[in-house]
Amino acid sequence: MIDVKTKINSFFIFNSSFGPREGDELKRILFYHPSQTSPDAQKMQVGLCEAVVKFMSTFSSEPCEALQTQTKRYIFYQPEKGYWMVLVVRIPYTTKALAAIGETQGDVIDPSIMHDLLLSAYKMFKMFRGPFKNFSTDDVYTVCEHFFNPFIVSKSLTNDISDVIQGINYLPLDKNSFFKVLCFIDLLEVNYPHFKCISFIYNEQLIWNGLSTNDMLTLYQYLVQTLLPKQVEKEIQGGAVTAAQRHGRFIQPAEGIKSSEDLEKLVQVHLMREDDTEIKQYYLIIYRTMSATVSFTVDVDVELEFEMFRSLDAFIGPQLSAIASTISEQCTLHALQTAQLAVSEHKFVYFNRLNLAFKTSPPINKLHPSTSITPEVLTIISGIHSDTKSLGNYGEIIIKTPDEYWITGKSSNEREFYVIIQEKNANLKEIADEVRRICEAQMKGIFFYPM
Amino acid sequence: MASSSKDSFPTTSNQENPPDELEPGACYESILNPTDSFEEFASEMSSSLQERNILLNTKSSTIHEIQSEIGESLKENTQIKSTKSTDDLQGKEESMTASTSNSNLIDQSEDDTDNEKDDYLQSPELVNKEKHVFILSSAGKPIYSRYGNEDKLAGLCGVIQALVSVVEEQNQDILRSITTKDCKAVFLVKGPLILVAVSKSNESETQLVLQLTYAFNQIVSVLTLTQLNRIFEQRRNYDLRRLLSGAERLIDHLLIFMEKDPAFLLGAVRCLPLPEKARENITSAIQSTCSKIRDLVFAIMLAGNQLITLVRMKKYTLHPSDIHLLFNLVRSSESFKTAESWTPICLPKFDSTGFLHGHVSYISEDCQACLLLLTVQRDAFFPLSQAKHTIAEKLRRSNCLVAINDALNRNEELPTTNPLKHIGIPEIRHFMYKCKSTAQLFTSDPISLDKLQDYRIRHKEGGDICEKKVEKLSDIDYVRNYRQFCAQIHCMSTPAKLIFRSNSHDTILAWITHGFELYVTFDPLMEKDQAIRAVDRLLKWIKREEQRIFIMHAPTF
Repeated sequence: MIDVKTKINSFFIFNSSFGPREGDELKRILFYHPSQTSPDAQKMQVGLCEAVVKFMSTFSSEPCEALQTQTKRYIFYQPEKGYWMVLVVRIPYTTKALAAIGETQGDVIDPSIMHDLLLSAYKMFKMFRGPFKNFSTDDVYTVCEHFFNPFIVSKSLTNDISDVIQGINYLPLDKNSFFKVLCFIDLLEVNYPHFKCISFIYNEQLIWNGLSTNDMLTLYQYLVQTLLPKQVEKEIQGGAVTAAQRHGRFIQPAEGIKSSEDLEKLVQVHLMREDDTEIKQYYLIIYRTMSATVSFTVDVDVELEFEMFRSLDAFIGPQLSAIASTISEQCTLHALQTAQLAVSEHKFVYFNRLNLAFKTSPPINKLHPSTSITPEVLTIISGIHSDTKSLGNYGEIIIKTPDEYWITGKSSNEREFYVIIQEKNANLKEIADEVRRICEAQMKGIFFYPM
Repeated sequence: MASSSKDSFPTTSNQENPPDELEPGACYESILNPTDSFEEFASEMSSSLQERNILLNTKSSTIHEIQSEIGESLKENTQIKSTKSTDDLQGKEESMTASTSNSNLIDQSEDDTDNEKDDYLQSPELVNKEKHVFILSSAGKPIYSRYGNEDKLAGLCGVIQALVSVVEEQNQDILRSITTKDCKAVFLVKGPLILVAVSKSNESETQLVLQLTYAFNQIVSVLTLTQLNRIFEQRRNYDLRRLLSGAERLIDHLLIFMEKDPAFLLGAVRCLPLPEKARENITSAIQSTCSKIRDLVFAIMLAGNQLITLVRMKKYTLHPSDIHLLFNLVRSSESFKTAESWTPICLPKFDSTGFLHGHVSYISEDCQACLLLLTVQRDAFFPLSQAKHTIAEKLRRSNCLVAINDALNRNEELPTTNPLKHIGIPEIRHFMYKCKSTAQLFTSDPISLDKLQDYRIRHKEGGDICEKKVEKLSDIDYVRNYRQFCAQIHCMSTPAKLIFRSNSHDTILAWITHGFELYVTFDPLMEKDQAIRAVDRLLKWIKREEQRIFIMHAPTF
């Protein structure tokens, strides 16, 4: 696992229009990490970035994305006009320069991962705090401080394939179990019309999504990377499952909803629901029983009463625990079946750009980061993934590296499939045949062309 | 040199490449120095700020070595040259005023001059260009701009200089590149010069840096590195354009040449395909005529950006990039066509500290081949001129001029005129092959003279970005497509040995072994086993024709 903190040289947000006059440069800096950096050094870095942005704007209408120096890479992201987020990472220009800064190849994080980190930082900020422009110049400094500091400190990356291709892990279910989940959600929506956009997650896998795909990815990442691990830790520390846990409880707000005062602590999120035309504010409420987690949104204009939540708790609790045990049985059964399948030592990754569905071998597990994907292979996959143009609507690419890895990427109508094979004496044809076998075995019914 | 089994193409059988057989085009001795420009680039790019400054001044002089070997010191010669150049400087410097200073970056970008600059950058001369190249002195004085007028770009050059120096002085780092979604700006600081390319093409950063290095070498080739360094040591603010008049055209041409010819992409030299016998005759004509001329270092015959033969002094070889500069010089100078010329030439890879003296002339009015005789002797024009006439006469008598003309005019009967037709694999649309040990290149579209003309006419329209509907790919389009494959294969952090990509437009195979690099474009959605068979046949064909398409000997005087 890679500790992001040691990789990030600095992270800052600036808006040049906040301190237009000379001498006001510090006002332009909304946030700077590490905070102990001297004001002069901060001004210098931001000044350089301002100059770089301006320089490129004379040549290109596209916003600046990166500045590469011999030892560092500055990654730029302009989420809203005038607001720039910059992540400075120790990524040297060449591998030979690695030794100079005391790193090895394995330590270097792929630039695309860092770019995605910046993107998801903003998306998280926007979901839980709203866009930058909503804040007055007085508030914005403290808001950023309170949000981004913990974000940076808590973030960890694995340099794993799931960081290169960010997707959602869906849980495949048999028809009956899936139908039960659907019935439960429909019933909830009918009985509690204020509670909308219901999403259903089992362990770390999504079963039903009530949000737009983009918001879902952010919420999913929040749940899987931040909220749920904390909960699981709490549950494990709590020893045996208490009666309350069996019946479920509200985990967002964190202390649950036990009295009408707790309603004050409800978390607000900024979302665009499918029938919305603009981003609106909602309360985010999350409920959990055993391994099943359900999230809903409530419009902030709705008068909330404590009674409503108590009746909701009584309604969901028993139903959800019944469903959770059904799914749990399903999963055990499924695990047994897959264990019987011939285990292939080759790794594969499937990703669908439309619903963000993501599947790898073996199932993603943050506790056991896969060591078998080398950073070089990861970089190659990330290259194929980001260069959508070169494969077009349907296409295939096979790359052989000097250390005998064969990386195959297939793309077919927004679906992508990657296979990594390490094989010394293979030829192109044999690799292609092996990939076809893996594709048929793992992706039954999903069509890739060329075969 | 022999290809090991590890490197053999993943064919169903490995028998095609028994270990003792050389890959097509390889021979035991090479006229060219096959050091990969990529390797060289790698070492250069990995140097730190401190190392970089040391590197530039520590080259020994090859020319000096030759001169002392011949037992004739040309010291007075160099002295004359150096006094001459200092005279030049003193005369010109008086009129100059110091202007640029290392002012604060932010101040500078808010200057009034900056607004003017912005306006000028949006003018039709400059807007919407695929690739800009700017060269400035480390003091921020404009030296060269590919488009527009350097004088009006002083503001922009000031910003570039400020960016470079802020990163160097305050961060103790080196500025390499800035990217947006559609555009890359690449920076290269070389000695007293800053070179910048701003490109919207699909070339990789490495490829752009190599092009900037070529542009730098072109300047060195006119001035020598020693003189260039000395000028700026004496006067940091010197306006180099005074000394480079005429060289702008060379850089202009070089930039076009680099975009069109895969020779630069691969760091290799194209040879004019000739029957083995004809090339032998040409070489021996040069050898027999020149063997008595003591100070001759290289005799080079070329035509249409292709090498015909190279005879060299024992021990010395030429680097492909030096040959490219010679190609560029010959192609850009119409005056060589009308009269024999005597010109100082610095070949940066051979010896960046001094000039060789070149006798340059076309063989005859009815043959476009050009002969360069490079010597360390300053006053050898007449003996060399005499030698040239003797060589021309010999070539005419042995019918070599006809052979050269046939090749240049792409006579239908030659197998190399239309290689794809001759090989007879209809699925192959285009290929290029580089033999690594000899740094030579062969593509399925040999250059002909009319096509060279075509580049220039097309480029007169201005290098603008235009969205054109592609009906039939031209050869240049194929090469353009190979760029990203070439970049990935030579990528320093994650290189690839083989790339097979197939989509609805085409199927491209890029493959590198110890011995060669091969890039092939097939029909779309090509089956892998079919591609393997086609490549096998292609390699066999190249092996069979290698005597014709490559220079397989390394003759000396």
